[in-house]
Amino acid sequence: MHATDTIVALSTPPGRSGIGVIRISGPDALALTRSLLRDESFKPEPQRVFLKPLRELDGGEVLDQALVTYFKSPRSFTGEDVVELSCHGSPPLLLSIIDSLLYLGARAADAGEFTMRALSSGRLNLTQAEAIRDLIDAQTHAAVRQAARQLGGELSARLQPLKDSLLEIIVPLESSLEFVEDDLPEDLAAQVSQKLSTLAETVKSLAGTFRTGRLLKEGLHVTLAGRPNVGKSSIFNGLLRLERAIVTEIPGTTRDTLSEVIDVEGVPVLITDTAGVRTSSDKIEQLGVERTRRAIVDADLIVVVLDGSQPLAPEDLEVIEDAAQSRFIIALNKNDLSAHDADRVRDLSNGATILSVSAKTGAGLDSLCAAIVEPFSAHETFAGNFIITNARHYDLLRRTENAILTSKDLLSRRASEELVLVGLYDALRFLGEVTGETTPEDVLSQIFSTFCIGK
Amino acid sequence: MSFDEVFDVIVIGAGHAGCEAASASARIGTQTALVTLNLDMIGQMSCNPAVGGIAKGNLVREIDALGGIMGHVIDRTGIQFRLLNRSRGPAVQAPRAQADRALYRTEMRRTLEATPNLHLRQGLVIDFIIENGSVIGVELQDTRRLRADAVVVATGTFLNGLIHTGRRTYTAGRAGEPASIELAESLKHLGFPVGRLKTGTPPRLDGRTIDWDAFEPQPADERPVPFSFATETIEQPQITCFIGYTNEGVHDSIRSNINESPLYSGQIKGVGPRYCPSIEDKVVKFPDKSRHQLFLEPEGHDTYEVYLNGFSTSLPSELQQEIVHKIPGLEEAKIIRPGYAIEYDFVDPRGLTPFLQTTKIRGLFFAGQLNGTTGYEEAACQGFIAGVNAALSVQGREGFRLRREESYIGVLIDDLINHGVDEPYRMFTSRAEHRLSLRHDTSDTRLSPYGRELGLVGDSAWDRFNQRFDRIARLKIYLEETRLKRSDERYYELSNLLGRDLGDSVSLAQLSQYQNVDNELIFRLLPGKMRSNFTIGDIETTLADILYSGYIQSQRVNFERIYQHDKLEIPQSLKFSQISGLSREMVERLERSQPQSFGQARQIPGMTPAALFLLLYQLKHAQAA
Repeated sequence: MHATDTIVALSTPPGRSGIGVIRISGPDALALTRSLLRDESFKPEPQRVFLKPLRELDGGEVLDQALVTYFKSPRSFTGEDVVELSCHGSPPLLLSIIDSLLYLGARAADAGEFTMRALSSGRLNLTQAEAIRDLIDAQTHAAVRQAARQLGGELSARLQPLKDSLLEIIVPLESSLEFVEDDLPEDLAAQVSQKLSTLAETVKSLAGTFRTGRLLKEGLHVTLAGRPNVGKSSIFNGLLRLERAIVTEIPGTTRDTLSEVIDVEGVPVLITDTAGVRTSSDKIEQLGVERTRRAIVDADLIVVVLDGSQPLAPEDLEVIEDAAQSRFIIALNKNDLSAHDADRVRDLSNGATILSVSAKTGAGLDSLCAAIVEPFSAHETFAGNFIITNARHYDLLRRTENAILTSKDLLSRRASEELVLVGLYDALRFLGEVTGETTPEDVLSQIFSTFCIGK
Repeated sequence: MSFDEVFDVIVIGAGHAGCEAASASARIGTQTALVTLNLDMIGQMSCNPAVGGIAKGNLVREIDALGGIMGHVIDRTGIQFRLLNRSRGPAVQAPRAQADRALYRTEMRRTLEATPNLHLRQGLVIDFIIENGSVIGVELQDTRRLRADAVVVATGTFLNGLIHTGRRTYTAGRAGEPASIELAESLKHLGFPVGRLKTGTPPRLDGRTIDWDAFEPQPADERPVPFSFATETIEQPQITCFIGYTNEGVHDSIRSNINESPLYSGQIKGVGPRYCPSIEDKVVKFPDKSRHQLFLEPEGHDTYEVYLNGFSTSLPSELQQEIVHKIPGLEEAKIIRPGYAIEYDFVDPRGLTPFLQTTKIRGLFFAGQLNGTTGYEEAACQGFIAGVNAALSVQGREGFRLRREESYIGVLIDDLINHGVDEPYRMFTSRAEHRLSLRHDTSDTRLSPYGRELGLVGDSAWDRFNQRFDRIARLKIYLEETRLKRSDERYYELSNLLGRDLGDSVSLAQLSQYQNVDNELIFRLLPGKMRSNFTIGDIETTLADILYSGYIQSQRVNFERIYQHDKLEIPQSLKFSQISGLSREMVERLERSQPQSFGQARQIPGMTPAALFLLLYQLKHAQAA
């Protein structure tokens, strides 16, 4: 369907792997494949897989057995003729196959070029193209699910009713301007004002899901803090279910910060274990303490670890004081040693959640996980658990909301309709921009600059 | 081939499009023939005897600013001037004037006859004479042949016109005049894609049989706003129109006779304008409305004929009479001309260039209802553009076009040639993205310099333009810099009037933005000497400029974000088929439209954002190289 050249790229990550997939798209995809296979009679049935030997271009020695799938235009990802070659994942092998294809006349694909062609042929809309990138970059199952929903066109489908309601408001306002000779409902202004409020609320709540959306995409930064030897690293390991950090009986063993990502209810949580906070003359340990303070400042949430078997030390109080600058929860560790008395801590906790855990037995770690994501978790979802995960969409929704509110304000000040309508048309344009109907070309180019080759 | 007469430009049809076309073409300096079926019907208003209205009034003022004639003619013949939408912002206000129908015709003919290089000819054009893909003349029914290098076709509803009243149909251009059948055939033969549209008109009543007391009077404005920037006063005595309503009895009669209406019997195939519905349509489509508004508009000073605005119908004549009697106040009213519907041919305007020249045949221009529009104003502005370009093309000069962001005329032509029509196209303010800057009273600042360049704005009009421009600039500075302080005598009075504190000092410009402050109040605050140098119209324009400047500024930012690359030129050498990744379908669309700038490419229907991005990338790449 495309008038121009045929592109090729490796669609799986570079490096050794079980299988490497090479994708060819364009009018010559099949012809190039025939030349590569040295089999001019190869006429594959579309969407079926064929096992074919791949030979060196010069010499004709068999290099690999490849699975070849042909997608006939327009029923392919790009809308063009596409051939996918699944080969064994040896980097030099894959490189030499791509080289052969380039030698035969294909062009190396630019970043995002396959997706661009899909967009150009109308196989995808803009939010769907963005969803492909999100899907590939997804770190957790929940992020995959969101991207998949967006890829399925859910965002565009969600925005359509908003655009429809905007139009429903615009149309009577316009007709009151255009058909002055007809009599119009007197209470139009009150009705419109009510509708605008509802609409602004809806847009706001959709935009509000971005907090959760960003969480799904970018994750949560959680820092474990506490005085030395309260068992932070044990909790860290318990959470990771991995023996990564060095845990010893000597106070101050953890001198650097250690970070690892875990999946908590779909949210990628970056947990950072820190050096115990205490005044020390040890140079290295001082450095560690400095990093700890920084990790505390950067965190979305701090888990203050206290030794529940010991009386509260002045250093514990210092840690709580530091943590109180941000959102924090308290983990009372070592509940296997003695019964906890949370009441003593409660007075100091300023209302923060207090959990009793044992890093040693693993008791209470599940509750700790749950408590970590609880303040951020998905109660801010839109109807049907739909959430916004893309900063560009968020920005446009905020603009939409502001434009609607500006119009509502003008209406309440009894401004003439043509002024009220300015904001409503802006709002409509912003919503259209999300799905790419009115996207300024530069935004498109920004979107494409974040694609990597082969997608 | 021999010709009876030789001209530079021939205009077919002397309606609102044809008159503007012929006048502009002749005044640019080309020998122009205006050929019409009947010289006594030049500038005839087939339907409502009124010019202007919301957005349409802007078109007329734009034509005037460019040096057209419609504004002058209506200002001399208008018998009821009203500025519409007075309660709303100045950007959506527009003048409307009811004309004395007969006077309008006379004045239009007088204006054309006084135009040098313009030759009126009566006759029916039946065919075009084409040579090597260019038009070289026309053939008349009486066998005369006229030679010209450019021909403007402005045939209105006459092309294959078919009138319907009840089940009866007959060919006609409008009531009492023949249709143009052969010319329609000739256009079809040339391969132009022809469609069918419909419009309608209401019955005319004998004013002596109307019970006027049953209606609510609607007087003319005390201070009429003229269309032409050259008009200082409206000389015609102003009349009063009257407002009335239909009732359920009328609706019931229409409903029970709906099968008699060719609109509902399936007899009419053409598409009518949704926004100018017949009374049958109103009753059927809005069953919940218990009444519909009607306007009784006297047709002139020297006639008793009254136009029943709002009651367009194609019901059988005897039924029209019966139903009209059910309207309160019209119990005794006699219909002197029945209403009717008319179907006519139009040509898909997507085959036109922005200069209104057909892409198929060089030298052939289309204007007016033929292009699928409705309305005298829509027709007139196309006539003006087509006439100007016909003359320019004969003189070998570059074509003249207007952009969307500078004029309603630009919006209209842009919409027509890019999107085509699926119902008669009427202008609305909402069609113009930039309507806040397209006020009727700024038509001169927007367009008169073009008119001057074309040679259509004479010396005195140009002087007047420059003086007004200068007055408004001075007034703006004065209003922004003159501040009322607490110590001023008037401060107390004003703050009392507005019921609020106005701060330590307030500029007149700021003051004008408060609710309840009207233009007259600001005018009274000017020193006596200024009041005699400036008109209230100057104040209105200046204050409206101030009111909208913030919005226009912020809109500009938004539009610039979206349209920032529109001015990038597409080089002639660029082959769309060689842009990498562009689908064949997109290449075809581009090749068909031959856009000269990125902005034009952006407006081609069906272009995908990604395809535009690829084009943009190519253009920027080429620019950098």
